Amino acid sequence: MHVSVDKKSERKAAYIFILPAVVLLAAFLLYPALQTVRYAFTDYNIMRPDRIKFCGLNNFIELFQDKDFWIAVKNTLHFTVLVVPFQTVLALALALLISSRRKGVSIFRAAYFSPQVTSMVVVAILWTVLYNSNPSSGLLNALLVKLGMEPCGFLNDPKTAMNSIIFMSAWQGAGYQMMIFLAGLQGIPKDQYEAASIDGAGKWKSFLYVTLPGLKNVISYVIMITVIQAMKLFTQPYVMTKGGPQNATRTLVYYVYEQGFQKRNFGYACCVAAVFFVIVISLSIGMKKIIKAE
Amino acid sequence: MKRKVMAAVLAVMAVSGLCAGCGQTKERVNEAGESVITVWSPTDEPAIEEWWVEKIEQFNEEHKGSIHLQREAIVRADSYAYEDKINAAITSNDLPDILFVDGPTVSVYAANEITLPIDDFFTQDDWDDFLDSSKQQNTYDGKIYAVGATESSVALYYNADMLHEAGIRIPTSKEDAWTWSEFYDAAKKLTKDDVVGTNIIMDKGEGLPYVLEQFWISNGTDLISADGSQADGYINSPEGVEAAEFLNSLIQEGCANIDPIQKEFHNGRAATMLGGSWEVATLENDYPDLNWGVTYFPIADDGGVLTSPTGDWSASVTKNAQDLDAVKEVMNFLFSKDNVTTYAQAISKPPTRASSYDVLTEYNEYPRSLFKEQLMETGHPRPRTPSYSVLSAEFSEAMLNIFTGVDAKEALDAAAAATDKDYNKYYAE
Repeated sequence: MHVSVDKKSERKAAYIFILPAVVLLAAFLLYPALQTVRYAFTDYNIMRPDRIKFCGLNNFIELFQDKDFWIAVKNTLHFTVLVVPFQTVLALALALLISSRRKGVSIFRAAYFSPQVTSMVVVAILWTVLYNSNPSSGLLNALLVKLGMEPCGFLNDPKTAMNSIIFMSAWQGAGYQMMIFLAGLQGIPKDQYEAASIDGAGKWKSFLYVTLPGLKNVISYVIMITVIQAMKLFTQPYVMTKGGPQNATRTLVYYVYEQGFQKRNFGYACCVAAVFFVIVISLSIGMKKIIKAE
Repeated sequence: MKRKVMAAVLAVMAVSGLCAGCGQTKERVNEAGESVITVWSPTDEPAIEEWWVEKIEQFNEEHKGSIHLQREAIVRADSYAYEDKINAAITSNDLPDILFVDGPTVSVYAANEITLPIDDFFTQDDWDDFLDSSKQQNTYDGKIYAVGATESSVALYYNADMLHEAGIRIPTSKEDAWTWSEFYDAAKKLTKDDVVGTNIIMDKGEGLPYVLEQFWISNGTDLISADGSQADGYINSPEGVEAAEFLNSLIQEGCANIDPIQKEFHNGRAATMLGGSWEVATLENDYPDLNWGVTYFPIADDGGVLTSPTGDWSASVTKNAQDLDAVKEVMNFLFSKDNVTTYAQAISKPPTRASSYDVLTEYNEYPRSLFKEQLMETGHPRPRTPSYSVLSAEFSEAMLNIFTGVDAKEALDAAAAATDKDYNKYYAE
């Protein structure tokens, strides 16, 4: 009897404790999300909040015929498919490099992590200067010319713009994943490595058969968060290319911003956002299933 | 028990915090009973920031007990950050009383009834004193929706040493301005290893339509019809395509950079530049060693229209303003003869009041006289259309696409279609 009263009041207290979080989430996440879905069926122009008309599936019909939308889908996938393996491998390599307990390793750890603590806007502006297509002002092109090569358009060439952003994003983001890998590496028992070396495994073999299996959970977590982050790509194209040249770096989130705020088609932007939400959710569920199955 | 109380307190705090955010529109009156008038304008150079501080102090001193003026400076950068802030305020019905907007967007806000007509804010004598170019840009559907203190113009700056060395003719009157062919030949001739012949990209945002629209006008067309309702047949007309191809030839032949470095002309890395009137002050103050001059905006071959850009930021009154009498008082103060003059002087831009030129005598002398002459005689404001935001963004995108290899006609067709779609969706009768 005594026990159950205690439990009851404890449960009550628990509900009251989560109430603030629930209220805040409902107000700032759930409510806006539902509003977005509602506006997706209207012709809401941001300049005329008092003249919103319901327009059925018009936005969705328009969306599926919208060339720019499909280009944005393609660009977002292009970015995700390339940046995720590149950044993950880079982060793992860095983590392996600095996981040893040699002297001075902490300097490198700080150095590899430092792009991560710098704001993406700052990093993007710096790289815009590095990537400048003119060899007399762009550092990378100056280097290319010095080495006797042709200068590269980087952000000004539709063929290289997205890849330039991928490279710079992986450089900026890898530090964070590196830290997660480092924590994972420390969780692998030392005796497994000893056992492997007694069995005659070299460095490569012990990496393949001890380190990788030991990091399995960490790797799937890292891939998952990198995919979700990659799908949300916005800052780099906003700062560096404005979605150009020739649509080469227009991503889905950038397209939502452009339609909603620049062109003020808020209803249409909400429609893109709703479809984007469905894409990301199904990707996450799909990935979870694959990871579980393994 | 303690835990419960704490949880309850937290919950109440969270909920009450939310409610505070979504109350009714606040009365714009402060504790002293003064009507609070808020101005939004972009952050500016130190001289202008000082001007604001001084003038606001003066106004508040003079109107103690009745009106309190305050200004919020909003970072604009070269993107659309300022517009984003306005968009957010429109949705939450929280616009300031007085809102500074860029010239061509006056029509956008007016057409959507975000701003109010201000014809009766000034006396006829005052209106007569304001330049036509400025009034024209600020008029929509026959009514005036904004008033500005300064104007702007763009002309062709040149590096005098480089032009002399190359033996290139410098025009002395506006009829005698370089034609496109002359402009092209000069740029070609002046392009050397480390120096490009010209600089045509002011920035990759509004700078593109601001400067480059003139090539359409000079070639006998424009970006959109005069009533602002149709872009197809204008921006992508044969004359328009020709203008785009001409500009692209400068980029493709390496006579101009698509990514100019900062202050390319100022640092002797570009021989000429299509630059704004405000560059005069920068060049005089910060680059005393550069031997430069400025001449008229180039015109199309075979009798092109004489033209030059105009337009600057101006103040409009929003629908959220409550005390219109106080707003009127503020507007009359900010745009009085004296204040227009001192503002123009601080920002080194041509003033919008004819009477200010009596005080600012530097505009009677070269190089400033050239900008004044262009302003009064060849100025063309940017298009007045409620779809300007779309037109401007689409035009910029089209030009950058053309510069990176897309067919001019194809890129301009796309811009025309997107602009017309926006107009027909929201504004067509």
